[in-house]
Amino acid sequence: MLLREAFEKDNERKYIMFGGKGGLGKTTFSAATAFWLAQQGHKVLLFSVDPQASLSDIFKQDIFGKGAVKIMENLYAQEIDADSHIRRYQDEIRKKIRDMYGIDQVPEEIEHYIQAASAEPAMEESAIFDAVVDIVVGGDYDFYIYDLVPLGHALYYLSMAKVYDEWINRITKLRQEMREQEVMVARIKREKITEEDQILTELEYIKNRINQSSSILTDRKKTAFYFVVVPEEMIILDTAKAAQLFAKFDVPLAGYVVNRVLPAELAGQNIPPYLQNRLKMQNRYLEEIDKTFGAQVVGRVPELERDVTGLPMIEKLAGIMFGNGKA
Amino acid sequence: MAKKVKEVKKEKEEKEGFFGKLKEIAYGMSAHDMSRYALRTRASMEHLFILITMGDLLGIPILPPYYSLRLLPYVVPNIATWKRRMLREKDVSDAMF
Repeated sequence: MLLREAFEKDNERKYIMFGGKGGLGKTTFSAATAFWLAQQGHKVLLFSVDPQASLSDIFKQDIFGKGAVKIMENLYAQEIDADSHIRRYQDEIRKKIRDMYGIDQVPEEIEHYIQAASAEPAMEESAIFDAVVDIVVGGDYDFYIYDLVPLGHALYYLSMAKVYDEWINRITKLRQEMREQEVMVARIKREKITEEDQILTELEYIKNRINQSSSILTDRKKTAFYFVVVPEEMIILDTAKAAQLFAKFDVPLAGYVVNRVLPAELAGQNIPPYLQNRLKMQNRYLEEIDKTFGAQVVGRVPELERDVTGLPMIEKLAGIMFGNGKA
Repeated sequence: MAKKVKEVKKEKEEKEGFFGKLKEIAYGMSAHDMSRYALRTRASMEHLFILITMGDLLGIPILPPYYSLRLLPYVVPNIATWKRRMLREKDVSDAMF
């Protein structure tokens, strides 16, 4: 199968993402890919940045906010709990303020600010962003599989790296200019130059983290982004649009996987008109998919007889997606 | 004899100290303005910086809250003056000082 070839050929590949509209099977494909890679002897981390993550459901095991949980040999899964991540982070900030100024309690106004900032929706996203950087930079695994949130969010997430980068560059520049003024005053007054600017150090740190993350996301050798589509008109149109947007952010698009394909052998059987119509419609859209995405279609996965949850079903799907042999 | 040498030395030191101080005063007078100007520029920039990073304090969310919290501890002492400056109305005293 094509998907398997891609994995065998690109041996530098390390970060895999599945994206697409909600409910098309991103989590399922992520899990199956992680399973297959683990079976081949690679150490794999599958993680979700979705606040309504479904890894716990697919593995039938509660892993939410528990860090990387071992699912089987070589396979680890993690669901990021943004809320508790933010709470821990707030506490760190409070402690830092108390320690820096030797006070027992954070001033009221500052405390208000900490709470207000954390209530913003952007807080959760930027916290998740940071948590992902932590995971990816760790480098403990051979493969990292992102179970991405639906398209809009994914785009937002990817664009954030770019926006952050510009933002930080600008304030770093302002901070450097401030520093120059400071040094000048010190020189005029013939005072000793004060110790290094800690804010500048922090800014450099933040910039570094954002750069690391965006360079991984846009690395053509190491990263592969797959779109999940199903043979339906709306989905095809939306996916084509999304692909254009993704290209703008330099996301390395590796291909499209078609999900929920009704088995072709049904056509030869005695099936009711309803199913016959569905089959006919589907064939039309499959052609459309081939026409729109061409050689980038790396696989077709049939509609299975039941939901993919639990390891045996994931194994079955992995077999279909990658073929059963060894890599 | 030895005593005399010591006294001369002392005298010289006093003289240098006097001129030194005079020099300091002259230097200080000219440098004062320069450094005051630089400090004012620095303060304006500081306020601009806090506005960009901590805009939420005035209800102007500018960008990513997770990282602006990281900088918060360093600007704690400046926040009160910054808010006053940002929120005050302009009056005659702005032209005077």
